[in-house]
Amino acid sequence: MSDIILLAHPAFGVLGILASVWVFVEALNASEANASRVRIAAFAVAGCIILAWAFGGYWFANFYPPEKAIILKGPWPWAHTFVMETKERLVYIPLILALYLPLAAAANVARNRGARAVVMTVAAFIALNGLAIEGAGAIVNYGVKVAFVHAGVEGAE
Amino acid sequence: MDATPTAAADNNVGVVKGPAASFGLAAAVAILFNTALAWVEDAYQPLNAYMTSLTGDPWRTHGFADAAVLFVLGYLFVGRVSISGTRLSVLLAAACIVGGGGLVLWFALT
Repeated sequence: MSDIILLAHPAFGVLGILASVWVFVEALNASEANASRVRIAAFAVAGCIILAWAFGGYWFANFYPPEKAIILKGPWPWAHTFVMETKERLVYIPLILALYLPLAAAANVARNRGARAVVMTVAAFIALNGLAIEGAGAIVNYGVKVAFVHAGVEGAE
Repeated sequence: MDATPTAAADNNVGVVKGPAASFGLAAAVAILFNTALAWVEDAYQPLNAYMTSLTGDPWRTHGFADAAVLFVLGYLFVGRVSISGTRLSVLLAAACIVGGGGLVLWFALT
């Protein structure tokens, strides 16, 4: 079960990143014809990022502590002390932006250049933050792996 | 005939109003608050312990505090904020860069 939660977390994160790129492209080419698509995509971003946060948060609170102990005993303790400590707070930035995005996209982005700029900026920062967080998650995962390899656990490599 | 060009002109100036403006400003504040709370929480253990006592995990309390700042400020700003879209975009981008950079630097140096 913990593996499903752990895999759902980055999966929804990636879907949120893809949806934010979708919002960016729709807003870049905003017209009356794609107005509803911008709004639908904005809600898709919010939904995916909320689910990524919820799955990640549940896993972090319930399953991460043993892995944290393993990382801290391994050769890459900074995978927790720096990367995970940063990641667990950084994750709130795309979450805040994703909660705001549907409100920003509710404005008429086809007519209002300002609203379009805001939607594109928010979507771009959700994607950039999301990519950084996905990368950080991979480093944390690798921190566990190198700890096992270092301890000589069979099959860890 | 007069009304349509005026409305179009209003739209084209690029001014953002309503919830898009108020919650945009609140989002920028919430992002900076998120970083400031992370610094204080990490530096001052009694606050960390207090946050843990509220929800069982300081990370969870941190999230609720961020959401409270976003929604309460956004609600309070409704009807009071009218801002250029370019300015709001710069504000949000600056908040992301300062907030994200502040977190990275803090945990790299401590």
